[in-house]
Order: sequence, then C-alpha cells, then structure tokens
Amino acid sequence: MPRHVEAQVVVIGGGPAGMAAALSSFENGAEPVFLLERGKYLGGILNQCIHPGFGLHYFGEELTGPEYAEQFIERLKKTRVEVFLDTTVLEITKDRVVRAVNPAGVWEFRAENVVLSMGCRERTRGMLRIPGHRPAGIFTAGLAQYLVNIEGYLPGKEIVILGSGDIGLIMARRLTLEGACVKAVVEIKDSLSGLLRNYVQCLLDFDIPLLLSHTVTNILGKDRVEGVVVNKVNTHGQIIPEGEQFIGCDTLLLSVGLIPENDLSKKAGIPLCPFTGGPFVDEYFACDLEGFFACGNVAAVFDLVDYVTMVSTMVGGKIGSPSLDRKPPRHMLVPASGVSQVIPQRIREGKEGFLFIRSQHAFRDAVLSLSLEGREFQAMRIPLCYPSEMVKVNLQDIQWPSEKGEVQISIRGKRIHGVG
Amino acid sequence: MKKVFDVVIVGGGIVGCAVAWYFSHFDLEILLLEKESDVCCGVSKANTGIIHSRSYWTPSTLKGELHLRSLVLFPQAEKELNLHSPQTGALTVALIREEMTFLKVLKERGNISGAEIIGPKESIEIEPSLNPRIFACYYDPETRIISPFALNLALAEFAALNGVHFILDEEVTGFESMGNRIRILGRNDWYLGKRVINCAGLYATKLARLSNDAVSAHRFFRGQYFVLDRECAPLIRHVLYPVPTEESKGILVSPTPEGNILVGPNFEPVDEEDTATTFWGLKEVEEGARKLIPFLPLEQTITTFSGLRPTLPERDFRIFFSSSLPGLLHLCGIESPGLTASLGIAEYVGEKLKDSGITLREKRISPRTAFPVFRNCGFEERERLIAENPDWGKIICRCEEVTLAEVKHALSSPIPASTLDGLKRRVRVMAGRCQGGFCGMYLPTIMMQELDCDVKEVFKSTRGSFYLLGKIEDVVKENAPTC
Repeated sequence: MPRHVEAQVVVIGGGPAGMAAALSSFENGAEPVFLLERGKYLGGILNQCIHPGFGLHYFGEELTGPEYAEQFIERLKKTRVEVFLDTTVLEITKDRVVRAVNPAGVWEFRAENVVLSMGCRERTRGMLRIPGHRPAGIFTAGLAQYLVNIEGYLPGKEIVILGSGDIGLIMARRLTLEGACVKAVVEIKDSLSGLLRNYVQCLLDFDIPLLLSHTVTNILGKDRVEGVVVNKVNTHGQIIPEGEQFIGCDTLLLSVGLIPENDLSKKAGIPLCPFTGGPFVDEYFACDLEGFFACGNVAAVFDLVDYVTMVSTMVGGKIGSPSLDRKPPRHMLVPASGVSQVIPQRIREGKEGFLFIRSQHAFRDAVLSLSLEGREFQAMRIPLCYPSEMVKVNLQDIQWPSEKGEVQISIRGKRIHGVG
Repeated sequence: MKKVFDVVIVGGGIVGCAVAWYFSHFDLEILLLEKESDVCCGVSKANTGIIHSRSYWTPSTLKGELHLRSLVLFPQAEKELNLHSPQTGALTVALIREEMTFLKVLKERGNISGAEIIGPKESIEIEPSLNPRIFACYYDPETRIISPFALNLALAEFAALNGVHFILDEEVTGFESMGNRIRILGRNDWYLGKRVINCAGLYATKLARLSNDAVSAHRFFRGQYFVLDRECAPLIRHVLYPVPTEESKGILVSPTPEGNILVGPNFEPVDEEDTATTFWGLKEVEEGARKLIPFLPLEQTITTFSGLRPTLPERDFRIFFSSSLPGLLHLCGIESPGLTASLGIAEYVGEKLKDSGITLREKRISPRTAFPVFRNCGFEERERLIAENPDWGKIICRCEEVTLAEVKHALSSPIPASTLDGLKRRVRVMAGRCQGGFCGMYLPTIMMQELDCDVKEVFKSTRGSFYLLGKIEDVVKENAPTC
C-alpha cells in the first residue's frame, strides 16, 4: 500500500527555489516540511554551473553554482525539513494530494500547502522545427553542460551553438577551455539573448564569433553531425535564402530558451500565464488555486538565482500566514508594448515584494509605464534595459491606484540593435 | 559443418519479423539476418502506424489481397503478441462536393456495419476540431492505430522466444547456389538456407538484382511528419484522412497509441535514401493538415521525421521466386499499406514456401508476455513493482515516466536494445517533449554499465553515431585542440 503522509508543506524540486522555500517555511514555523528532489543531490541545476557569478545580490559575494547551493544545503541540515532524494513526483491533485515514487515505494502526501519549484526545461530542435537529418551530436546546452561538468565527457570537438542565451555562452567558454573548437554562436535576433558580461567573458575573450540575425536552417550528417547550414534572417526573423554558409562541425548545441516545467501544475488544474509559461501568481507567489505557491523558474524564467532565492524566501514567510487572504486581487498585471513578461501578475496589497518585468527589446533612455484602464498612473525612468536582464521594481515604490482593474505595463524608449 | 537453416529471412523490419513470427509457429530452423544493430530500423520505423480498415483496401492488387488477409489475422496475433491496437475509427474528409464519389466508394468497398457518410454538422459532433467548412465525411469505425515499433518488436520477440535465431549487424551482400541450398553471403560470415526470404525493405530490389532477377529498381518517395506533444491528444479522436491522390493516401492527422498526434506524410520523390526533413516538405505537410484541422497546434511539435516508401512502377507489392536461385523469394515494393498487410504477407509467404515443398508442422508455441509499462500502471501496481525491484522507483525519463527497471529490461530483453534509438523504440526514453534533455544525462552511464562498454560505444543508432566523444582527459590527450 502507498505510504500516506500528512504535511504542512510539500516542496516539489530541490533546486535554489525549493531549498529556499523549504528553509523559510520551516524557519517561519511550518512543520512538517517535505522537500522532494528527483536527483541524487539537492541544488538542482546549480550543481552543474561551476562558473562564478552567483550570489552577488543575495550574499554580496561571488560564488560558483555549487557553492551557492551549499549555503542552503548546510542550512537545511540544521532544520527538521525532511529531504527526499531520488524522488519523482508524478501527480498533484487540486486538493493537494502529491503522489511520488522513489526506490522505497509510492508516497502519497496530503499537504496543506504545496510549493511548486520544478524549474524549467530547455527548448528543443523539434520545437524550432530545424529541418535536416537526425544524427547524433545535437544537444541542448544544459544537457551538454551536465555531461561536461558533472560526468566529465566531451560531446564533440567542433561545436556550433545556436542561440546566445546564457547557458550557450557559458558553454562556449567551457568547451573551449576543455579543448574543443567553438566555431560560432548563431543568434536569430539582432541582439544578444544572454547577459552582456557573459558575451564579453565567454565569447570576446576567446575570439568566438557571434553571428547576429542568423539561424541554422539545415543539419547535415547521417550518423553524427557533419555540419550545419546557416542563413541570414531579416528583421521579421524570416530566412534570406541568398548567402547561406556551411559550417562544418560535429556538434550542435541549442541554447534557444527555457520553458517553465509545469506538467504537474497542469495536472492539478492551476491556471497558467501565457506570457511566462508558469502559474499566475500574486506578490507572495501564491497561485490562483488555494494552497499552491510557485517560485523560481517554474513561475517565470529568472536570469539571476539571487532573485529566485529572494522570492522563494518570501513564500516561506507567507505559508500558513493568516494575513494571506483569498479575496480577489486588486490588480491584474498584463504586459503591453515593449514588455514580454510580467511577474507577479496579481497584486493584492502592493506593499511588499517585487515586480519583475522582462522587456521585449533592448532599450536606452526608456520609461517603464503602468496604466490602469489606459490611464498612466506611474512612469519610471530606466537608463538601459535588455531582454536578458529583468527590470526589478519594489512594489512599495509604486503608487497603486485605489480603483481595481487591469494594469498594463509597457516600456518605451530608444531601441538598441547589436550587442549593445 | 555449417548449420543448414530451413528458412533464412533477410531483414528485420515489420515484414521480416512478421514472416519470422509466422514460421516460428512451425517446426523449422529459422535464421533472421539484419544489417543494422536492431530490428525496426528502416521503412518500418517511420510510418503513420495505422491498421487501415477494409474500406481502404485496393481491389485487384496483391497489396489489397494481403491487406484483407492481414486484417483477419490481427486479432489472434495481438493475443499471442500481447499487444493492443486501439480502435479509434477514422474519418475520411471530402472538402468539396466532387470528392463525395470517393466517400461512396469507401463505404461500398468496406461494407462495414456502422460505417456511414455524414455531413459537416455530425462530423463536428464526433470530431470537434475538424474544419467546419468540409463537405462530408466517411466515418469508418474499424480503423485502428498501432505503434510500428511495438508491433515490430513484439513480432521479433515472439519469434526469438519461439526459436528463431537473430543475427544483427550482418548485411547480406549476395546469394550463391549450393545445389538445393542457398549460400547467403554476409559482411561478416556466410550462412546456408533451404529457403531464403528477401524482406530487405528499401534494399529488396537491390538484393533481387544481385541475384540477376528481373525487377525494376525501387523508386523512393519520402514522407515527412510532425509529432505533437501528448498535451494535444484531446484535440482529435479519430484517424483523419483526406481524399487520397493518385500517388498516396495523402496528409493525415492521426492519434498514436502513446498519446501523441502524428501529422503527415507528404509525398516527394528523392534520389537516394534521403530521410532528412526539409523546410518546404514540412510546410506542405502543415498546409495539408490544416485543411483537416485548421487550428492544429504545430507550435506543440516535439519532433519531426521522415520515412521512405520503396515503390515499384506498378505501385503494388511483388512477391516472387528468383529465376536464378530456386528457393529464394523476393518481397519487393512493400510500401503502404505494408504495416497493415504485414501479417497477410507472412501468411502468403508461408503458402508460397509450402507450395515449394517446405513442410509446415505446427509446434507448441509460447505466447509473448508483455513487460509492464510503468506509465500505464496504477499506484497500487507501482507499489508492488517497486517492492519487487527498487529500480521501478527510479524515474529515468520524466516526460514519458520511464523507470530504470524498464530501461534495464530493454537492454537485456530477448531482442535487446543496444543503442539510444533502440531504447527509444522500446521504452520511449528520449521520445517525450524534452527529447532526451533529461534522460540524456543518465542513459550513457546506464548503457555503459548494462552493456559493459566504453562511452565511445554508446551510439544513437549506427556505428558512426557516437553520442559522446569520450572522457575529457582522454580526448584532450588524443587530439590537439583544433583551433
């Protein structure tokens, strides 16, 4: 018979979001708290991010991914949070029954609160519909990162990377340092997808060419990748047939975006935002369905783990808190011109917490504008903003209007083309 | 002394394995030779996976006759094979009045009770996502869907279980007469058979011509497909056919037994055995499919692929004994509906061999037992499995919920997987929405452990398709940086 467990909190996923949420809920008095992780270790993707650059905002010092994770793993050890490793959740019901398996058997948790912190997955070749053969040697960048950094394997010798997302840029440097030749990073947009500092430290410093406004249009090789065809694209992202070039390589890495991993949320019937791909959340990262919270990349893809820790820590503080009323939120936030994502999408009080906004393009001398029913009630100046770096605003800095309704968030400014 | 086999089958696709399945019911020594490292590698792995009902048979052709025969054989075969083909039924869609004639032909041809021609309103009632601007549909209740991999593997496993010898990685390069026996030349060895059945699929005419038999060379027509995420499954209930063209059944939208949606194929001549997908080919498939389902969510594509149809000019199967080597039977032009007709083909081949003097004495057979599929088990059953073996509690592929126990079993089953694609066909690792992004982390290590091999021998499919180059320190030692 499956094991039945009563829990005040069940946290699904032991990456940075889940660790912080489990820790803070325990520290705020919740018990028992269960943290379920499918891998052999806590830390999630941080474990394979052996490069520095983590923790500047949260800890005030620069850490590697495993070091950042270690801070939380050590703190968790001092609590009574029950950590289940090697445990995969297969099902969540809307009334918060969490069904999981591990080598000991089937587990059924009846939870008062469920924290969703399953992170995200990578976009694949199939989703991009890249035509060609289907040889070995096509990897998503994160998978390659695991195989190199954790398992110690080299995927190939001559590499082309599609997409200038951060994992792709980091992997360009990693593979170069391990003796492979990165022939090009190809980006369909006319601007960089990842952080500027990663462009400088991972491509410029190693003379790796970045081809903006280009994409891979064919993959050659029957057994193993033998090369890719790269074409220029116009401003609408359409392929320009002339001037295609062949780049010989044995490996194609795809760093073309992340998708919040919400299979379980969907099974539970939690409403999802079409813009973030994650559950709609309020400023406390509570979902529309009572008793559910979503934090970290499962809610929206964040660019800094420090922000993930901040929001996840807040979730712990709100669990079981009587101040969390279930009245309908005052404001519904939607992205408008120049904005691709907004999180949270619901505002109840607007006093604590943050608003994260991802711009659609790179802008300079920009204005972030909040309007209710078409009437602007707040405008904030932003000197520079990039799609790769979320704009973070303290909710208390916003003068929320007294009338309820839908708030449109837009950014206007001068477009920046190129790497900026 | 070389062993003399009563029957040697060349090719481990659906047809070769169906033939092996058929003959394994009789007291015979049988050998199957396959050039790839696994069964189900050629035409068999890339098709629509439909058991077309008798409405769709082609009268006065061999393929039509074997199609009908096969349909009679399927129910019993599925019992022996422990396999299930869901009966989804099908709608053939007439977009315009002129296409009505064809719907009537289908209805007459099938003469199936419950089959009927229905208008747009009724069609939408049973298939809500259908294009509302159609003229009419022919509803066929008997159409079934099946996983080509599952069928091919079940046939092979049944045959292996009942005494058929399988030799993989052995390409047949020719035949020689040895009196009343045939010598089969392979790349690695040679074999002796009293009867040889050429089920080489794409390569069947090539082999036939090697033995100087007069048959036109195959012409290959490629068909490209999309596979949609299982989230789309509720979108369609039936197999959806357009009215066919002269050349093919047209671009279909079909559910799969695994819960995906399959969209395709187009029909385009290719020079070689070219199984690439192309921008224009996929676009053609998209446009074709949208005539049936206007709001087909192709943004939910998880992968695309293409398959080949090996065709003869007469667009029929040709099954004939060699004129130069008596006892060598060629199966050429086995294109659509090859999967549907496979069991009928096997029975027909059996009769041909019987006529040629082979004695078919029935023996006791062991039915195939299907290994549990974790995803399809309830939680009580899962608990029982994990108690038996903790590997059942270790999820390796999250998208398709595949456990370590299933992966290990696939690597050691009667016809074991030896490659990543082999695992995919058996247990669906790497077949889900993340396309191996997650299980791709663990599979190399599991394969190395279970197959006792080096990382360089972890292949996707063929011997050249290495998954990883090697351990970093070894590769760096062996190769100076390339740039």
